[in-house]
Amino acid sequence: MSDQPTSEKPAKKQIGGELVIPVAGVIFALYYFSTIIDSPFEAQVSAFFVGSILILLVAVFLVKSAISVIRGDAGLGLDVLLSARAFLPKRLALFVLTIAFIIVVEWGGFTLTTFAFLTLAMLLLSDGRNLKFILILAASLAIGGYLLFIVGFHTRFPFGPFEHLLGRVL
Amino acid sequence: MDFDPTLFIDLFAHTFTYWWVIIPAIFLGLVVGAIPGFSAANTIIILLPLTLAMDPEMGLVFMVALYASSRMGAGIPAILVNIPGTAGAAATPLDGYPMTRAGHGHQALAISFVSSTAGGLLTTIIALLAMPWLSQVAYYLHSVEMIVVMLFGISLIASIAAKDTLKGLIAGFFGLMIGSIGADVIYATPRGTMGFLELYDGVPLIPALVGLFAVSEAFIVIEQRSIMSAEGQKLMEEAGWAETWQGVKIAASKWWHITWTSIIGLIIGVVPGAGAGIAAFVAYQQSRTFSRTPEKYGTGHVEGLVAPESANNGVTSGTLVPLLVIGIPGGATAAIMLVVLQYHGVTIGPDLFLTAPNLAYGPFAAMAVTYALLIPLIMPLARYMSKVTVVSTTYMTPLIISFTLVGAFVSRSYVFDMYLALAFGLIGYIARKTGYHVAAILIGVILGPMLENYFLRAMRMSQNDITVLFSSTLGNILWVALFLSIGIPYVLEYRRKRARARALRGEAPAGGK
Repeated sequence: MSDQPTSEKPAKKQIGGELVIPVAGVIFALYYFSTIIDSPFEAQVSAFFVGSILILLVAVFLVKSAISVIRGDAGLGLDVLLSARAFLPKRLALFVLTIAFIIVVEWGGFTLTTFAFLTLAMLLLSDGRNLKFILILAASLAIGGYLLFIVGFHTRFPFGPFEHLLGRVL
Repeated sequence: MDFDPTLFIDLFAHTFTYWWVIIPAIFLGLVVGAIPGFSAANTIIILLPLTLAMDPEMGLVFMVALYASSRMGAGIPAILVNIPGTAGAAATPLDGYPMTRAGHGHQALAISFVSSTAGGLLTTIIALLAMPWLSQVAYYLHSVEMIVVMLFGISLIASIAAKDTLKGLIAGFFGLMIGSIGADVIYATPRGTMGFLELYDGVPLIPALVGLFAVSEAFIVIEQRSIMSAEGQKLMEEAGWAETWQGVKIAASKWWHITWTSIIGLIIGVVPGAGAGIAAFVAYQQSRTFSRTPEKYGTGHVEGLVAPESANNGVTSGTLVPLLVIGIPGGATAAIMLVVLQYHGVTIGPDLFLTAPNLAYGPFAAMAVTYALLIPLIMPLARYMSKVTVVSTTYMTPLIISFTLVGAFVSRSYVFDMYLALAFGLIGYIARKTGYHVAAILIGVILGPMLENYFLRAMRMSQNDITVLFSSTLGNILWVALFLSIGIPYVLEYRRKRARARALRGEAPAGGK
């Protein structure tokens, strides 16, 4: 789970990852300003106030960070963000599976897509072990969800072939 | 609206006869409260054909029981798996989840149940007795006063940021900026929407909650076999009824804390549109301000769990006050209750207390009976519910991701909201990994738009005169209270440091060589 040991010298604190949120905040604030530049005063006042403070805070943070880097106390690596590197491939694969889930669920429907997602994600996280158990668990959870939310609560979950078919039968 | 003890005793006895309606409503409420994207309001809408078919009194009892129990249900996943079921439970995981991670999950649940029940029951009784006066609160809390109330909640960002002020403030203001997305309330000018029509109404709360808490946590916990530490897991495996009872005793010892934080919830609940999210954050912030151990908040501190849970249940009875007295619902669920009553031809207002006291006082009696039944029904389940935390993350993570993402879809039926939840998940993941507090971002997202609305309303009414913010006596009192509540912790901390330093100096000669 830990990263590779480096040199004998105490490792520099890597603060590159800590800059992501502030930089994203400033980029978003500037974009936000661009959308309200021609708006009436009432639509601007709050955002300009909040955005200006955010930019000011980030400026202070960046100056502090720059001083640390110049002094050699810190580096700009992304180690904090990418810690537990051993899990990085799994995490990325899970992220891709999640995006696929969102894309497919719209037309695949809740039950089938959830079953497929649960099966693949659980297999991914268990390194392919317990296939039989995972298949039974994923099927139970997907069907349980269907019965509880769609049949029981008439919730507007995404409908697909399974829901349409059973909707006609039930 | 005179106080008549016989009427109330009869009413409570009569309401108890509806136990067969209340008990199923309690379990339904617990389930829908616990699932992000669901809420009492959604469920009552879904069940409208049922409630409309019931006689108005029974329908009201059913809706109130479901409403009260859903509030408690929302705290369960917040404590066990760091997923607040609703915005009202958004402050609950701050201390509830660390307790779970340390292996005290079912103790935390017991504390939450007792706080919720006691807070809800107490505020119901207060609301019942003080209804004529409480109904006036909304008249006194105008935009200016509400701005200060919002700032009480937002100042929690500063408290959360105590360990790293700059990072905490950046996270909070980033959240406020995200909360500003959407059309402005006066000119409907789209702002910061990135061209997405789905964001014109602002950032929906459920995807933000789901993303910042559930999705981000899910991507982090895959590094461990369980969400608990090894020690916590051992504790959880050995835990029994004694720990549940211990939780009850701990919560009972915090009776004063439960009392005043639930009253905060009651007062905020009376203001239409304010909501449980604000109440929970304000109560948490106040609890931390007046605590002798503010540094323990966020690490699994009992008072940090008691405060939001008592407050959000206090809101429940508060929202019914303006509904029944002046016909203005205090929240979405109360608004649906109004629709049901109107469907049955019941005219809401002061006359109702004279013409149909059963209906007018009935919701409070139903709420009190619900809370009375909740404890014996739910407390034995705490031990079993908490076992969910021993499930391996291999199985828990995919389950959390899929069900919470679909939960994000439910409230508006936009697939976009699932992508939004994932985007918030990414922000939450980066924030957690790099030491920014996701709760600070969420406070901004929840309270930011409300603050802006009240601010714009105040400015509009005063023709853009900023001094309007200091134009009312109550508002000015609240401003002073706000500055005191922000300043007091620093003064207390300074005094504590000095006392510690003095003590060390005093001990040095004795203890030194």
